[in-house]
Amino acid sequence: MRRLGKVVVLGAWLLITLFPLYWIVVTSLKPKAEIFSMPLKYWPDAITFEHYAELFSFADFGAYLLNSLIVSLVAAAVVTVIGVIGGHTLARFSFPGRGAVMLAFLVTQMIPLFIALGPLYLLMSDLDLLNRLAGLMLVYVAMLVPFSTIIMRGFCERIPAALEEAAQVDGATRLVAMLRVVIPVMLPGIAATFIFAFVQCWNELFLAITFIDSEDSKTIPVAMNSFITQYDIDWGSMAAATVVSVIPTLVLFAAIRRYIVEGLTAGAVKG
Amino acid sequence: MVARHAKPAFTVRRARFIALCLLPGAVFVALFTYYPMIRGAVIAFQRYNLFDLTSTPFVGLENFWSVLAEERFWTALRNTGTWVVVSLFFQFFLGFGLALLLRRQFRGRGLYQAWVFFPWAMSGFLIGLLWRWMFNGQFGVINDLLLKAGIIDERIGFLASPGWAMTSVIVANIWYGVTFFAIMIMAALQSVPPELYEAASVDGASRMRQFWHVTLPHIRPTLALIVLLRIIWILNFPDLIYSMTGGGPAGSTDIITTFLIQQVSGGDYGRAGAVGMLALGLLLAFSIFYLNVTRMERS
Amino acid sequence: MTSSRLAAPSALLAAATLVLAACGSGSGSSSGEVRLRMIESLTSPDRTKLIKSLIADFEKANPGVTVELVSPPLESADQKINQIMQTKKDLDVLEVRDHTAKSMSNNGWLAELPTTSWSGWSDLTDLAQKKAVEVGGKPYLLPYGFYQRTLFYRTDWGMTQPPTTWQELYEAGKKMTTGDRFGYSFRGGKGGADYAVMMISAYNGESVNPEKAYYLKDKRTIFSTPEATQAMDLYLKIFKEASPPDSVSWAYPEMVQGFTSGVTGMLIQDPEVIKTVQESAVKAWSTSPIPKGPTGYALQPVGYAGWGVTSFSKHQKEAIKLVQFLSEAKQSIAFAKGNSLIPISKQAQDDPQFSQGAWKAYLEAQRDPKQVITIRPVDYPGWSQFGIDSDRDVQALITGKKTIAEVLKSWDAFWADQAKQVS
Repeated sequence: MRRLGKVVVLGAWLLITLFPLYWIVVTSLKPKAEIFSMPLKYWPDAITFEHYAELFSFADFGAYLLNSLIVSLVAAAVVTVIGVIGGHTLARFSFPGRGAVMLAFLVTQMIPLFIALGPLYLLMSDLDLLNRLAGLMLVYVAMLVPFSTIIMRGFCERIPAALEEAAQVDGATRLVAMLRVVIPVMLPGIAATFIFAFVQCWNELFLAITFIDSEDSKTIPVAMNSFITQYDIDWGSMAAATVVSVIPTLVLFAAIRRYIVEGLTAGAVKG
Repeated sequence: MVARHAKPAFTVRRARFIALCLLPGAVFVALFTYYPMIRGAVIAFQRYNLFDLTSTPFVGLENFWSVLAEERFWTALRNTGTWVVVSLFFQFFLGFGLALLLRRQFRGRGLYQAWVFFPWAMSGFLIGLLWRWMFNGQFGVINDLLLKAGIIDERIGFLASPGWAMTSVIVANIWYGVTFFAIMIMAALQSVPPELYEAASVDGASRMRQFWHVTLPHIRPTLALIVLLRIIWILNFPDLIYSMTGGGPAGSTDIITTFLIQQVSGGDYGRAGAVGMLALGLLLAFSIFYLNVTRMERS
Repeated sequence: MTSSRLAAPSALLAAATLVLAACGSGSGSSSGEVRLRMIESLTSPDRTKLIKSLIADFEKANPGVTVELVSPPLESADQKINQIMQTKKDLDVLEVRDHTAKSMSNNGWLAELPTTSWSGWSDLTDLAQKKAVEVGGKPYLLPYGFYQRTLFYRTDWGMTQPPTTWQELYEAGKKMTTGDRFGYSFRGGKGGADYAVMMISAYNGESVNPEKAYYLKDKRTIFSTPEATQAMDLYLKIFKEASPPDSVSWAYPEMVQGFTSGVTGMLIQDPEVIKTVQESAVKAWSTSPIPKGPTGYALQPVGYAGWGVTSFSKHQKEAIKLVQFLSEAKQSIAFAKGNSLIPISKQAQDDPQFSQGAWKAYLEAQRDPKQVITIRPVDYPGWSQFGIDSDRDVQALITGKKTIAEVLKSWDAFWADQAKQVS
C-alpha cells in the first residue's frame, strides 16, 4: 500500500516534469501552420524537421554550440580550480579577516546584476574584452568563484586535517599533499561544482547578450534570444533550439549524476 | 569545526601563502563584481539620464526619494514578497518530499533521477518562454487540457489577467525550482551518519520521531543555508518573469528586479542605481536578520 | 617554500586567463583595409539577410572596405547600441530610430551627414528630407523608410465595408466577436498606449497641434479635454466587447499573429505587416486608412528609422559613403520592398508595388486632407519614460485597476510638466 502510494506520487511528479519537455519536442516537430491551429494536436499530423534544418542552415547554430561549449568548459574548469585552492585555504587556516572574506563572497550573490552591468560594460571595453569568448569566460569566472569557493571550503572541512598532516610528515610539501590526498577525496565535490558551474555558464543570457554581439562569438542563449523578433516569435525554431541546447547538459548530467547528488551540498553541509 | 588540530602559528610566510591562494578569486571578484558595483552605486547619487549624459551632477538622495515616492516601487516590493515566499514554500516542500521518496535505493532510481532533474538543465529564460507558450490564451496547451478535463468552460488568458499572471509565473518557478531543492536535500540527507539512526532504533523511536529528532536537526544548518541562497537567487534572477510577462500585465508580476530593468530601459540610470541599491540594502538586511535567527553565524 | 610552490600554479592560472583574453577571437584589422562596424536595431532574420546582401554590393563597389554587421536581438538592441555609444569605440554606422535620435544627438554621438553635396539627396521624397533633419535641426540620419499605420480587415467575416470611424470599428468588431473569433487585434502590451493616443488625437481632431502632437493648438495637452475621455470610453469598450481577453498583453507579434491565425478580424498596423499577411493562411482581406474620430479627422505620426554615422568613427568618410549607398534609389527601394516600408526615393512613386493592392490604402490616406500626419514629442526628455509608464497605465486601465479619469489626469500632468521643462 505504502509502496503503491510512493509509485503514484513519483509517477505524477514525473509526468508534471516531463510534460513540458514533451510539449516542446512536439512543437519543434510541427509544421508552422500546425503550431497555430485549432484544435490543438498532441502529435503532429506530419512530422517535420524543418525547424531543425533552419537552425543549422540559416543560423550558424553549430558554431554557437561550439562557442558555448568552449566558454562553459573553460570557465567551469577555472572556477573549480580557484574554488579548490581558495576553499582549501579558508578551511585549513584561521587568519584575521577570514570572516570578512567569506562575507565578501556571500554579498556578491546579492548584488543586482543590472546596476553593475553598465559600468562593467565600460570596463570590458577599456580592457578590450568585448566580443571575445575570453572576456565572457572571465566574467563568468568572477560570477561563479564565490559559490565554488564556499562549497569547496565546506568540503575541505569534512576531510580530516590529519590526512594531510600525515602526508606532510612523510616529507611531502603541502601542495603535493593536497594533490595526492585531498583531491581524490574531494572528487565528488569537484565534479558537482564543475557541473554546476558548467550549467550556469551554458544557460547564462544577460551577460552574454551584453558583451557579445559579433556573429562569430555568439553563444547559444544569445542566438536563441534572436528568435524573438518584432514580427513573430518563431515558436517552432525556438522549440527546436531548446531541444538541441538542453542535450549537452543532459548528457553531462547523466554521466556524473551520482557525483552531484553526493557532492553538491555535501560541501555546504558544514555551512 | 576546523580547529580540531593545533594550527601552525600565524607567520609572515604563512600570511603570504594564504594571500596568494586567495588572490585569484579575490582579483576576479574585486575587478568584475565589486568595482562595477561601486561605480553603479555612485551613479545612484547622480542625475544620470541617457537623454543627456553630458551633464551628470550629484543630486544627493534625489533618485532615492523619487523611487520611494512611486507607488509602483511599493507594488513591486509587495509582489517580490509574494513571488519569493510562495515560490519558495512550494519548491521547498515539494523538493523535500521528492528527496525523501528518492532517499532509499529502488530499481530504476538512477533513471528516474536523470529524467526528473531535467528542469535543472534549462535556463530560466527558456523555461519562461516554454511556459509562456503553454500558458498562451489561445493556443496554449494548459487551457486545452483544462477545457478537456472540464475544469474550465472557456479559455483563460493566464498571463493576460492580473489575477492569474502571478499565479502562472509562480507555477513555472515552482516547476523549475523543485529540482534544486530535491538535489540539495538529497545530498544533505545522505550526510546523516547511519550510526545516529542505529542509536535511535535501539531506543525504539518511530520513523516519524526519528525524522524529527535525528534527521532534521542534523540537516538543519544545510537547509538554512540553501534556503538563504535560494531566496537571494529567486529575488535576484528575473529571467523567468522577464521572459514570461516582463512584469505585466499592469505591473501585476513586477518584482523589484524587473522594475529595475524597466528603469534601465527607460534610460534613467540614476534611478535604476537607486532601485538597485535599495534592493541590495534590503537583501543584506534580510540576510543578516536571517543568519541571526537561524544562528548560522556560529559556524 | 610551500608558498612559492602553490603560488606558481595560481600565477600561471592568472597568466593563462590574461593570455586567453589577449588573443581572443577578435582580430585586429590588417593593413590598408578599412573595416567598418555597423549595427542594426529592428533586427529580424529576413531583414538581416537583406542588409547583408546590400552590404555585399557595397563591398564589391568599394574594394578595400569591409563591413561587419552586428545584429543584436531586437529586445535588447537599442540598449546595446546605447552601451556601445557610451564607450565611443568600435562603431561606425548605426540604425537611428525616431525614439533614439534625440538622446544620441544630445550626447554628441552622431556625426552630421552631408546633404546637398550628395547627389542622392535630391532623389529623396520631401518627407524623407524633412525627417532627416527633424531632430536637432541637423541631418543626423538618412531615413530608410517610413512606418504608417493602416487598417487590415477580413472581407470574409460578414463585413462589406471597412469602418471609417472608431465608432464603426467598435460596432463591426462587436458583431464579429463570437466564440473563438474576435473583432479587433487590441494592443494591450508594449506599445499599447500608442493606440490610445491615436484615438484621443482623432477625437480632438482639428484642435491638435500636428507639430507637437501631444499638445493642442492652445498649448494644453490632448489628454485634458472631454473629447479625450470620450475617446477612452470607446477605447475601453473596444477592448471589452470586441477584442480577445488575452490581448491585455499583446504587443506587435501577438497582434499580427492574432490576425494571421484567424483569431481577430481587424488589425491596425504598419505596412510591414502586408508581407506577413500575404504569406499567411488568411486569403480574404483588404486594407483601408485608419478610422477617424467624430470630428472627421484621423491623426497619426509617421514612424521612421534610418542610418547614421557615429561622431567617433575612425573611418567617417567610408561610413558616410555606406549610408549614402544604402539611401540611393536602387538600394533603398530594395530595402523598402523587402521590409514592406513606405519608400524614401521619389523613383518609387512609379513603382507599381507601392501603389497597388494593400498599398492603395496609403495612397488614399495621402490624398485625404483629414488624414493628418503628426510629429510626436520624441525630443522631450520624458519621452522614453512615458513610453514605459503609459503602457502600464493602459494595462491598468483595461484590467480595471485604474479609471479613465486617473489615467488621463496623470498623462496630462506628465506632459504639462514636460512642456515646462522644455521651454
